[in-house]
Amino acid sequence: MSAVLKPKPKAIVCDGNEAAAWAVTLARVDMVAVYPITPQSSLVEYLAKFVADGKLNAEIVDVEGEHSVLSVLHGGVLAGARAYTGTCGPGLAFMFEPYLRTPGMRMPMVMSIVTRDTLTPQSVWGGHQDAMSVREVGWIQMYCETVQEVLDTTILAYKVAEHRDVMLPVNVCHDGNYLSYGAARVELPTQEEVDAFLPPPSTNWHAALDPSRPMAIDPLTGGAGGPGPSLFVRYRKGQCAGMQNALAAIEAAHEDWARVVGRRHAPLVESYRMDDAEVALVTLGSMTGAAKDAVDEARERGQRVGLVKVKTYRPFPVRAIVSALDGLKAVGVVDRSVSFGWNCGPLYQDVIGALQFASQRPAAMSFIGGLAGADITTDHFGRAIERVRALAQDGQVGETVWLNEKD
Amino acid sequence: MGAYNTISFKPEHCDGCNACMTACATAKAGSDDVVNSRIQIVADGDAFELAMCRQCGDPKCVSNCPAAALAKDGADGVIDWDGSKCVNCLLCTVGCAFGGIVYNAAAGHVVKCDTCDGDPACVKACDRGALKYLTTAHIYNEVGDLEDLFVPGLAGCQGCNTELIMRHTMRRIGPDTVLATPPGCIPGMGSVGYNGLTGTKVPVFHPLLTNTASMLTGIKRHYKRQGREVNAVALAGDGGTADVGFQSLSGAAERGEQILFICVDNEGYMNTGMQRSGCTPFGAWTSTTPVGERGKGKTQDAKNLPLLMMMHNCEYVATASTAFMEDLYDKLDRAIEASKRGFSYLHIYSPCTTGWRFPSAENIEVARKAVETNFVMLWEFNPTDGLRLSRSLDEPRPIDEYLEALGKYRHLEPDQVGHIEATLRKNVEQIRGLAGG
Repeated sequence: MSAVLKPKPKAIVCDGNEAAAWAVTLARVDMVAVYPITPQSSLVEYLAKFVADGKLNAEIVDVEGEHSVLSVLHGGVLAGARAYTGTCGPGLAFMFEPYLRTPGMRMPMVMSIVTRDTLTPQSVWGGHQDAMSVREVGWIQMYCETVQEVLDTTILAYKVAEHRDVMLPVNVCHDGNYLSYGAARVELPTQEEVDAFLPPPSTNWHAALDPSRPMAIDPLTGGAGGPGPSLFVRYRKGQCAGMQNALAAIEAAHEDWARVVGRRHAPLVESYRMDDAEVALVTLGSMTGAAKDAVDEARERGQRVGLVKVKTYRPFPVRAIVSALDGLKAVGVVDRSVSFGWNCGPLYQDVIGALQFASQRPAAMSFIGGLAGADITTDHFGRAIERVRALAQDGQVGETVWLNEKD
Repeated sequence: MGAYNTISFKPEHCDGCNACMTACATAKAGSDDVVNSRIQIVADGDAFELAMCRQCGDPKCVSNCPAAALAKDGADGVIDWDGSKCVNCLLCTVGCAFGGIVYNAAAGHVVKCDTCDGDPACVKACDRGALKYLTTAHIYNEVGDLEDLFVPGLAGCQGCNTELIMRHTMRRIGPDTVLATPPGCIPGMGSVGYNGLTGTKVPVFHPLLTNTASMLTGIKRHYKRQGREVNAVALAGDGGTADVGFQSLSGAAERGEQILFICVDNEGYMNTGMQRSGCTPFGAWTSTTPVGERGKGKTQDAKNLPLLMMMHNCEYVATASTAFMEDLYDKLDRAIEASKRGFSYLHIYSPCTTGWRFPSAENIEVARKAVETNFVMLWEFNPTDGLRLSRSLDEPRPIDEYLEALGKYRHLEPDQVGHIEATLRKNVEQIRGLAGG
């Protein structure tokens, strides 16, 4: 196939959904299965348009629901295809059954979660509750801050997923509304650059359905007798090992990307103005931009404040988090979702869990904001910084702060 | 040794009209004198008996013959008489217990039935249904030459009809296949396997109960993209087809995916403990429609899945039964062919000895009764010809014969039987209407 794109990198203005569609095109994906859902819909419309225009040479399957979206891709991957889709919120909930199965079958596909708050109350706006609800299922999850990061990460994700020490599916999470519809200037890499970065997929002969090499996929495994217990443990441990191996694979893929394309994103966590910082905010996704502005304003006031952005959320980069936060006086973790069981944000839970490994453990408290499309402004982050500085003084970890409670 | 085609005689249908004998005499001796017929219907009081060559497996006529003039053909099983070797000693007639080889004065030597090379004149002449040429064995022999794509020793229940369906269908479909067997009896008996062992020789997988047709879509589409001809086949139970699997099935049919989807309908969730499904008929006992002081089995009629699939305008839809194997094989061939063009759906009824409560030896008889009472109707559909009956719905046997054969209907009260009869009449009229009267 001749190169679809012009040989020189070019800049375009597009939103996050279009950026993801460009990434799918450049990654030479074989199969996309689509079903529309707000705020992902324009993403699948772009894919359909790119196929119709001959830009994207992929088998596109328009199915009757998200459950089938992922199921079709399961079939495609087992037949050797590189596969992609995107969904969010109720769609993700509906596809949960095959979603649950994808990592166990070690299927290296990529699925965007254009994050949306979950029902109920009925809502079509952004929030991380959907992706957070599936955080322990075994998918790799990376969160994007900018439209450029959406494009780059979606291509990078294939390199991670198909790494032979990983072989796991990846969610590239980009925030509904803020990234899905927010347009920005984006550097589009050339097809040659992407081809140099990402080789064609090779068949995974540990799980393939091909009459030339018959095998049974997913026989009953486990039970109390025979080889069952140890066999089951072997699969589970292997999956956990693949997850841990992903940390190095993600770092390597980002390094390769920087070498080929010349753009560098922090692979696991990004430290922003953390030199000499005494307190820090921990953020996830598109909120990071406003948070960085608030940190800049605090710095201008002479406050020693920094920010740690979590890019890779699953596997959780425990060492990188500890290394970034160890020795601080206080940390404020800002979530765009809720842990109902703990009355705090889920990222906060992860951070305080990781901080058990710190030599000087900072006090940490939970902030929740940006639910159902609410804006977390620099003012919100400014107040959060003040609250965290107070925490650094008195060490009193208060109740979870709901940033938009009085908006 | 394989089995052979044969002429069967049902004396209860015979009225002694002699048409068969006239036809045979005409075909074999050019005379309408029944004395020249090689089939003889003999009156025994009010009943009739058959005197004709049975083409025995261990023929005494052959072993009695000192001149090697009689020999059993290994290919078609017919015992041939060779006039050039015969010495007219008639010892063969002494050996035969069936009056199947006798001296014919006009011919001047013994004569016997040669089945008219597989197209017997007597059978064609019988319009009473007393004589039939049974060719099922021909089917089994032909299929016997194909590789069984499942290993021996699958752990199905004794007399399992579903195992029969699996082995027959996959033999015919062949090894260039990816097979989906959603949770149920089919993988339950070990086709996908347990802990590293598998019972299937082609690529096989457990889809989810919900997504069989969608996973096959992905497989088929990618092989097509690569220019490879691979059959994408489902062997699914009725629950994975009609209930929780229906959405993906309907979607794939609507898109015209090139899939062969075979529903093995045993009218419930038999593998997991015989619970009710959308295909369970009215009145049937299941473990979730139990019989007690108030409960009297299922209170709703079954969902008519093959008709629903027909309304998707599939490339091919058919119903079949293991009691009618020629018909099943004909439909299987057409279904395989149709799946190369679009969505192909085959609905095969599979009586379940365990869940329906009847002796395992009676499985095929139960399947036959279901069809002969019109409880199960055999038909096929394609978009060009519409729906066509594969078997006449006229003169069905009484439904009681079917209901009484099954333990799951043992509790039925007269009003429930009345409901079943009314539903049956309605269903028959519906299919007749679709078949054009």
